[in-house]
Order: sequence, then structure tokens, then C-alpha cells
Amino acid sequence: MAQLRQDYGKFVEQGAEVVVVGPEGREAFARYWREQELPFIGLPDPEHRILKLYGQKVNLLKLGRMPAQVLIDRNGRARFIHYGHSMSDIPPTERVLALLAGFAKEGSTGQGSA
Amino acid sequence: MSPEVQIDAMAPDFALEDFEGRVIRLSDYRGARHVLLVFNRGFT
Repeated sequence: MAQLRQDYGKFVEQGAEVVVVGPEGREAFARYWREQELPFIGLPDPEHRILKLYGQKVNLLKLGRMPAQVLIDRNGRARFIHYGHSMSDIPPTERVLALLAGFAKEGSTGQGSA
Repeated sequence: MSPEVQIDAMAPDFALEDFEGRVIRLSDYRGARHVLLVFNRGFT
């Protein structure tokens, strides 16, 4: 989370938003966001609605293989998933940023023409 | 092990309130911004 916070500006520059989903309730999210001064969106999902949705709909996420990150381009397509096996296993944000840079090169073809 | 998967499927849309009560809807970003969706396991 610290690395995401540190690189958040780069994500914004690349035209991306960061949305963090977790099983905690609203209060826990608010407290953590305040303590850590996190700039991105925090979605409390104690019922695992999004996780279940992604697991069922397209088998994108294998439940239990957490944490995970899904990169969705502005056309709504999931382009990349990273599974981690522990809290500390966060994909290098450089990898995601490189993919975002690639999306930018797709440029006009990537904008609503899909 | 940190498997990476390249895919190209429509991501399921969702709408959920963030901790500040704003409704976050994935499809609202369509045509505007990419989204990195992070499934976190805990704040420990």
C-alpha cells in the first residue's frame, strides 16, 4: 500500500485511478486511510461482493489467491491480473505503470472504439 | 510465486459505496480512465 501511495501520482499521470477493495468495514477503512494518508479510493466490501462477482463472472479471480490486482483499461477490459501470496507481495508498480504507458500508445484506438 | 495473467475480457461492472459514502461504479470510468483494482486482504 505504501508503494501504491508513493506512486499514485504516476498512476494519475497515466490516466488511471486506483481503487482498493477489502473485507473491512467502513470505519476500519476510514481509520486506515486517515492514518496512512492514502490518496486513492477505498471500498469496504465485507460481503466480498466484488470478489465474488469477479470470481464467478469470468473466473478472473481465484478466490483465496489474495491479494490480487486487476488492471482494467478505459474500455472496461481487464488486461492484467497479478496474484500475490502475501501482504508484502505487491506487484512492482513499475510493471503496472509500464502497461499503462502501453495503453497510452494504443492511443486513439483504445478510446471507445472497441 | 506471483503468477501474472494476461487477459482481455470485459471486467464485470460493480457499484459500491466507498468509505466516505460515495458510490463508486466501475463503468463510470469507461472512456475516461483506466482502473487498477486492488483486492486487499487486510490492513495489518
